[in-house]
Amino acid sequence: MKYFQPHSVEDALEIAQTAEATFLAGGTDLVLHMRTGKVQPSGIIDLGKVSVLREIKITDGFLNIGSMATFADLGKSELVLRNAYALWQACQTMGSPQIRNQATLGGNLGNCSPAADGLPPLLALGAEVHLMSAEKEEIVPLATLLGRTPLLGQETLIRGFCIPLKELKSGFAKLGRRRALAIARLSVAVALEVNENKVENVRVALGAVGRRAFLSESLSQVLSGQELNQEWLEKGVLEVQRIVREALGTRASAPYKRVAVSGVFREALESIITEGGIQA
Amino acid sequence: MKSSVIGSRVVREDAWGKVFGQTKFPADVNLPGQIYAVVIRSPHPHAKVLGINSEKAMSLEGVVTVLTAKDVPNNSHGVLFRDQPVLAEYVRMVGDPVAVVGAETEEIARAAAKLVVVEYEVLPAVFDPEEAMTPAVLPLHPNLRPTNVLYHMPIRRGNMEEGWAKADIVIEKEYSTQHVDHAFLQPEAVLAYVDERGHMVVQTATQYAHYDRGEIAHALGLRFSQVQVKTLAVGGAFGGREDISLQIIAALMARYTLRPVKMENTREESFYSHSKRHPMKMYYKTGATKDGKLVALEAKIIGDAGAYASWSINVLRKSAVHASGPYVIPNVSIDSYAVFTNNPYAGAMRGFGAAQTVLAYESQMDLLARKIGISPLEIRLRNHFKVGSTTATGQVLTGSVPLDQCLAKIAPYLERGGDSQ
Amino acid sequence: MIEINLVVNEKPYTLNVEPSERLIDALRNRLGLLGTKEGCGEGECGACTVIMDGKTVNSCLVLAAQANGSVITTIEGVGNRRSPHPVQKAFVEVGAVQCGFCTPGMVLSAKNLLDRNLKPSETEIGIAMSGNLCRCTGYDKILRAVKIAAEEGAK
Repeated sequence: MKYFQPHSVEDALEIAQTAEATFLAGGTDLVLHMRTGKVQPSGIIDLGKVSVLREIKITDGFLNIGSMATFADLGKSELVLRNAYALWQACQTMGSPQIRNQATLGGNLGNCSPAADGLPPLLALGAEVHLMSAEKEEIVPLATLLGRTPLLGQETLIRGFCIPLKELKSGFAKLGRRRALAIARLSVAVALEVNENKVENVRVALGAVGRRAFLSESLSQVLSGQELNQEWLEKGVLEVQRIVREALGTRASAPYKRVAVSGVFREALESIITEGGIQA
Repeated sequence: MKSSVIGSRVVREDAWGKVFGQTKFPADVNLPGQIYAVVIRSPHPHAKVLGINSEKAMSLEGVVTVLTAKDVPNNSHGVLFRDQPVLAEYVRMVGDPVAVVGAETEEIARAAAKLVVVEYEVLPAVFDPEEAMTPAVLPLHPNLRPTNVLYHMPIRRGNMEEGWAKADIVIEKEYSTQHVDHAFLQPEAVLAYVDERGHMVVQTATQYAHYDRGEIAHALGLRFSQVQVKTLAVGGAFGGREDISLQIIAALMARYTLRPVKMENTREESFYSHSKRHPMKMYYKTGATKDGKLVALEAKIIGDAGAYASWSINVLRKSAVHASGPYVIPNVSIDSYAVFTNNPYAGAMRGFGAAQTVLAYESQMDLLARKIGISPLEIRLRNHFKVGSTTATGQVLTGSVPLDQCLAKIAPYLERGGDSQ
Repeated sequence: MIEINLVVNEKPYTLNVEPSERLIDALRNRLGLLGTKEGCGEGECGACTVIMDGKTVNSCLVLAAQANGSVITTIEGVGNRRSPHPVQKAFVEVGAVQCGFCTPGMVLSAKNLLDRNLKPSETEIGIAMSGNLCRCTGYDKILRAVKIAAEEGAK
């Protein structure tokens, strides 16, 4: 197995173009998969020394997050806290401190586990993904990208994520068997716009109920353009339960998740709603 | 006699070594020239091994040898009965070891293990102990028991008819518990070598060095005096290191190759290779008078022993003895069983059979209290053991029985209705 | 083989490692630093915790090559019998040590917390220690030991 440790994006792309190699981000998934034999790459391009990929900054109306920003970086970032609250929340509970120090948002997408903690918030917040290869550069909505199979070509690098700055209210919650070190059994991210007392452009993304995280069209329709009150919330609960029931079918976890999702959904909305209505 | 230790805080002697990372666990000891051994385990819960082809594995550079059942002088071990093979020709559970590869490095040993081809005749397996108890199911250990019932412990006290006649309220329920792994933090590891005297030295983490010694000697056909077991830092056990795991296999490899042999389980291998807590099915029928006095208990407890006996007899005996809880019940009929199945074998684990029955008898108390209309605390106060009480097995309690003090301590919690309400 | 340079416990090393070799393997097998323990090999238990460039990581999930250019602290680089680190002293005195297999990782997570935060709250201590499992269930004493070490260190 060959091992490359480039220091620039250009070098990384060139290696990817010429060598049969897999990109290595933080490694918390890939190192394990190599160990178990699930993945047997003939080469590795370690992106750890490409410092530009770790940047978190604001440019042209977007929050730009480099693919190698770790969950710990994101969870400590003021910019993320203020502009992508659901993502910030997800970064507090993902894995453990050790995992968060090593695991990256780009790696989370690259590995694309059904339970990936980073993806539902990115979906809800309308994130786009910046992809690069030696031949092509592309900015594609995450929701579109997640519809592709395979997700990425071998030579394609996840450069980063662009989250539009739209003053969205957002929230995230997950169900794990314990508070730390728990793989999400179910996760919900919600983002919405609030105009006066009406909610617009509601986006709800679910994790660990399908092959990949996904945005729910129907929840968006049911919940957008309405007054934000208890009734609205209950409508959302019914719809999210329906979606989980359909997505999971007869799987063993279905009866449990169908019930549990209502609690997770409510919790995800807690950061947006308080008892008296919309949070200041 | 006066002791300054009792009642005072003592710093444990091994604590300093542990906080500096100096303590030697079995994975931390090595010898020059050692080889690594890796076990090939059965993926089938019930099967006959028809043949093992190790040609391909042997052709891998760095492989020293592959050993199978025919290489084991006395192919059996076990804490109560020697019913467990060192390397199996007849598989009774997923994870039964069938062969072991020795190689110059761990990587080579693991690669070679994947190349060993084992041909099995897969047999029908039984996973439900209640089904396994029926005469229609063939016994897994015909040499030991004519059926899969390894053990039955009946306890009878008083007169059941009289008991039920006095019962104003009867609660009848089924309870079940699941397999639990000890998941001690340090997976099994062992270093075995033949020393300058020709004696077998086995360094490992065990709860039972003297027993390991006997088992290794028996399996290898050595005298006790030719085997030395050194216990290194144990790294957690909780009952899971009472049965032998890798010790005999490593010693066997060392005896054949005359090289020091190192073995380390991955966490996954660890899950496959040691005992579990017994899952239990518990049928409980408990009767009380309307003023909350227990008058009768009928209980049937079926413990899933899995593929081998291990400590099942002792564990299910303890379940029976504890089945009535810390409560005075004049009329009792308890039947406790340990049953062989093709599940992972069950053995010792914290509580040793007493833990499972708590779920049943305490739930029964809560349900009775609710039906009678008294508090969970009250029903316990009216029935708990005191000095002078007689247990279901007829033991008269003469010593310290401070249940009243315990209940007084937790009374505020119980009166709140616990966490759930 | 890849050549890597790293500083471990303040000593510089140049090592030739396999591309697939994990940091824990390099530390244990090449440097003989056996205080780093492997409990699960998949980042669940935290027994293999080391401090890499000021942050705790699971050394079973980091390739040795990834650590190229890094500064690493293992348990062997923290305190000794003559002058134990306040965390080590507190672990011993409080009785936060049972089987000891989780202890090196626990000590490193606690030390790393106190390096960054002199006066951690109980919540912060809980979060900092959440990636280290103890199966003897001495958590209460472990958390108490970290608190005492913090109080000692803050003096």
